[in-house]
Formats: sequence, C-alpha cells, structure tokens
Amino acid sequence: METNNTIWIIIRRMRIPFLVIIVTFSISILGLTLIPGMDDQGHPYKMSFFDAFYFVSYMASTIGFGEAPYTFTYPQRMWVSACIYLTVIGWFYGIGAIVALVQDKRLAREIDIARFRKKIQELREPFTIILGYNNITHLIIDWLNREGIRVVVVDRDPEKIEALDLENFIPEVPSLAADVTTPETLKMAGIHQKSCQAVVSLFEDDIKNTKIALLCKLLNKRIKLVIKSTTQTQSEHLHNLGVRYIEDPFQFVSNRMYLALTAPSLWLLEMWTFGHILRVRDREQLPRGKYIICGYGRMGHALERALKKAGIPYSYVDIKSTDYKEEKQSAVFGDGEDYKTLIEAGVKEAEAIIAATKDDLINLTILATAKKLNPEIYTIGRENTLDDLSIFRAARINRVYILEHILAEFTYLFIARPLAYRFVRLLHTKDEAWGAKVVEQMHATLGENPMHFEITLDEEHAYALAKELKKGRQIPLGALRRSRANREESLPLLILLCKWDERHLELMPGDDLPLEAGMRLLIAATEESKSDFEYIVNNYYELAYVLGEDL
Amino acid sequence: MNTEKVISGFFFILAMTINFGFVYGDPANLEYHSGYELFAAIVINLIATILKLGDKTQLGSVLLATSLVADIQLIASATVWAFAVYVMNGMNLESTVAVVSLAAGAFIANIVSVTLFIGDTLKSKR
Repeated sequence: METNNTIWIIIRRMRIPFLVIIVTFSISILGLTLIPGMDDQGHPYKMSFFDAFYFVSYMASTIGFGEAPYTFTYPQRMWVSACIYLTVIGWFYGIGAIVALVQDKRLAREIDIARFRKKIQELREPFTIILGYNNITHLIIDWLNREGIRVVVVDRDPEKIEALDLENFIPEVPSLAADVTTPETLKMAGIHQKSCQAVVSLFEDDIKNTKIALLCKLLNKRIKLVIKSTTQTQSEHLHNLGVRYIEDPFQFVSNRMYLALTAPSLWLLEMWTFGHILRVRDREQLPRGKYIICGYGRMGHALERALKKAGIPYSYVDIKSTDYKEEKQSAVFGDGEDYKTLIEAGVKEAEAIIAATKDDLINLTILATAKKLNPEIYTIGRENTLDDLSIFRAARINRVYILEHILAEFTYLFIARPLAYRFVRLLHTKDEAWGAKVVEQMHATLGENPMHFEITLDEEHAYALAKELKKGRQIPLGALRRSRANREESLPLLILLCKWDERHLELMPGDDLPLEAGMRLLIAATEESKSDFEYIVNNYYELAYVLGEDL
Repeated sequence: MNTEKVISGFFFILAMTINFGFVYGDPANLEYHSGYELFAAIVINLIATILKLGDKTQLGSVLLATSLVADIQLIASATVWAFAVYVMNGMNLESTVAVVSLAAGAFIANIVSVTLFIGDTLKSKR
C-alpha cells in the first residue's frame, strides 16, 4: 500500500471541495424545481429535476447558454442570481484546493519518492548506493559512471540533491533527499535488489557510518560495504560486523608514506594503478633525513607510525588548528612566536616538513614559513577539501596528500576494479627488489605510460577462448601474449594478477600457467595491445592463429 | 465523542432512510414515489460517498464500494425517469417499476453499508 500514498493524499484533501460542490449544486437545483415559472404560452409550470440539473450544470461553470427551457420569471431570476454566486464560489474553492495541492510540499515529496522507487525498480544493470553527496562522492560518481556502473544517491539535505540534479550525470543518477540512517530509506534505495552491489558510506561521523554498516549488513548480507572509519577501535568494530572493506584515510596515507620511504618501486606501482605515470618524478623522491610533523592529530599520528616503521628520525610540533585560531584570532601561521617554535623543532637542519593540521590555510602558511627558514626543505601538505586544490597547486608544495581524493580513489578501485584493488593490497606484502623487477619489466615491454584493465575469461568477455577452454583444451597463459599480426612476435602485454576465487590469486603469473574458464586477469597494456588482446580472445580465427594452428 | 464519526454516521444512516422513503409504496404506481425524495436520496448518498473517501483500511474500502453501488443505482434510477419522460412517450408501467426497483437495489447496498458501519462501531471497545 505504501506506493500509493500520493493518491491517498489527493483524495483526503479533495473531500471538502467535493462536498462544497455537491451541496451548492443540490441547493440550486432544488430551488429551481420549487420556484414556479411560466412557459411561452403563459401557462404556469415548474421545472423538472432534469431541466434544473441541466441548467445549473452549465450555469455553475459560468458558460451561460441563456435561460432554458423557457425564459425565466422574476422569482426564478432572483433565485438564479443567488445560485450563480453560490456555485461559482464552490467551483473556485474546488479549483483553488487543487492548485494548493499541486504546490503542497508533502505531495511533492510523495511524488518524488514514487518516482525514485520506480527508477530503482527499473534499474537492471549493477548499481551502487552512495550515501551522502559531497566532493568525494561526486568524484566517485563520475568515475563509476565512466565504467558503466550505475549509482543511486541518498542525502539528507534536499539542497545537495538539487545540486546533484543540476549536474546532469549521464547515465542518470536517481537521487532522493531522505534520512540515510533509517532502514526504510535503504530499502527504497534498492538494497534488497539483486542488481545492488555495494553501499558506500563515507560520512565524517564514524558512529553514523557504523550504524549504516550494521543496518546494511542486516538488510542484505551479500552486499559489499565501503565504510569510512578514522579510528582503530571503530575499524575493529566494523571488522567484527563482517564489513570487508573499511576505509581509513589516515591509514591509507600512512601506508603510502611508508611505501614511498622504503620501497619506491612498490609505491610507484601503487600510484600507477591509480593513474600516475610509471616513473618517479624528481620532486616526488622523499628525502631520508629528519622530518618535522606539524599537527599531531589523527593524521600526524598516522604519519608518525609510517616514519617510525621506516626508521626515519622525526620531531613534531603539536599545533591544533582550532586552538590556534582561537588563541591568535588568526588562521595564518607565521608570527615571531611561530618562527621560534619551528626553529626549536629543528627546521634548519630538517630535510622535510609535514603540515598535517585540519585547516588548509594553516597548513599552507606553515609550509611557507618553513620554506622561508630553510629554502631547501621538502614540503608535504595535507589538503582537507578538494575546493582548495588550485591554491595548493599554486603554492608549489612538493607533495600534497588530499584525503578526499585518496578516499574517492580507493572506493572507485574497490567497486569498479576489484582486481586492481587486490593488486594494490598484495603490493604491500612484497619487497622493493620484487617491485623494481616488475617496474623494469613494464618499462621494457610497455614504456612509461601503460594502462591496466581487467577481464573475466567467460563467454561474455572472451567468447572464443572460453569456448575452447570449456572443450577441455589446454592453453597456457603465454599463448595469449603473441601478436595477431605475427605469432612469432610477442604482444606488449603484462599479466599482473590472476584470480581463481577470493582465496586463490597469483601475482605476476608465469607464461606456462594453464588457463581456466571463468578466471579473472588484471593486465597491463597499451591502448593498442588491449584491443588486440580482446580480438584474440573473442575471435576464433585470431585465437587459432596465435595458438599456432594453420588456417 | 468523535465529531467526525457523528457526522459520517449521520449521513450514512440518512442515506439509507431517505432511500427507504422513496422505495416504500406500490412499485407500479408512481404517485407513491416523490421525485424530491429521489433527489434528496442522490444528494445524501453522494455526500456519504465523499465522507467515505480516503479511509485506507479494509473496512473503509468495503464501505466505499457499497456507497458507490448505491450512487450508481440511484443515478440510474433518475436517468431512467428522465429518459422515459423526455425521450420516450411519458412513464409507463415498465419504466415506473424500473425506477423504483433500481432505487430498491440502492437501498440494499445502503443496508449493507450501515450494517458494516454499526458492526465496526460495536467491535471497537472504546
């Protein structure tokens, strides 16, 4: 019954206007039948109910066809003049009520909900529910749309939903303004639907995220959850709930920092997975001397862990952005006292400084002050909101960690490129020597700007190959790396990861690995070799040729 | 006391009693059946229908259905009357009986409606 709320609201609101119209009509009709008239021959007569009904019907709508069936007598006319005002007011009231109803917020909301439900029910493609619309989720929606993954957005704030509507995403993003922490909303957003794959909840408030995670788990067990958590205990809670993917932006930054300090090749591979070119730029090389961390909150602690693990000397300056602003009545760092603090922390001898407070302006001014005191220093800044991107670019900071961007990147990878995501996770278990070898291999075969893609060896994505494999034919992995122009030459491709199921994965599989139908591959390639590869696995003739058969 | 209940109960029962008043008498003789009574029955029945609108419960839907049946029967009765008088050559025995029996059908629908209404009232313990 829930679906038809709109109709019930309309009916309930129209009751009184209907009553008014019926009563005014019946009074007018009754009066007309009672008042004596005169026909064209001068005989007295009384209007029948039918005549009266006919006359009042056209009189009330003020069309006015004249007097019927005979010209009225004066008593009749007096009554009719009264009736005109009575019925016209009744009609106006009825029309007014309809107009008010159309403008009614509750009705508009019910219509919105009904439309939203309908859109969700019609979604056949896999889709992701994103809770909360902001800079981060905007990026995620953009990227997911490009991959052909549909998105549904729910946010409590109607203004944000309006802003989303104005973005004109293609394909369309169904959106609704509703409280995201209630099960009704999640159900409306289609959490029960077969095609619903994941729920993303990246709110600032950890408790809200946990509540949503719990609700989603209870409503749909098999769904993927992307939940943000910024503290250790919260992450543990979520883990106990069975949430497979927990996003802690500070942990991400810490891991990356550690990787960059100890294993630049692995760091490069991780960054490449996210779209960086496959080369470490000069300014990206982190120094290994003394570090100063400014700001000792969650971010500061995360970076400290990375530095400690990498065995790098550091000191810290405890600046809390809110306290600082209150104390100095300014959001600009760098008065005499601040200079002294930095010098005491050893800015002149340090090789790198990290500004990790919650305030972008303070971070920028810390780095500017440090540069003044020590022009050689390597600057690392934390950027909190994407809105400040251009300022940070202009400030020529050596390395910027944008938490929002990192969150969006990881979410996108997890949902749209599950294999690439596993690849990044597995990188953290490898060492620098391994990473250097892989990077070298990639440079040799693919150059400095390769791309990566994922493919499932099934009939939908690799028609010919899957058919052959199902017939029981043994095909080694290496066979796919031959050029379709000349099978003696190899195709510039590198198979990075091969997946049978969740537990069974192999990094950098060898050429003699036997292929199986249904396995998934993560492949590094160029645009050209990617399309060649797709030709080979889908087309019988191409496949037969590279496998060495004579046509 | 619930004012809304009083008003709707009043109209439901009035619809039935007026309907009865029109039907009562020799069905073959039009002199026993006043046009004014039929008019009043139609108006009161329409009002009762409107009052039943917007009730989402199961009982509400059945009440609305009975009321719609009564409306249709009464309007059909009035239509037959007007048709016989203005289009055919005046009332004859067939049309007279048709007018009265259609209204009698509406009366039965009204009895069902009032019975359900009273039953529901008795069921609620307050």
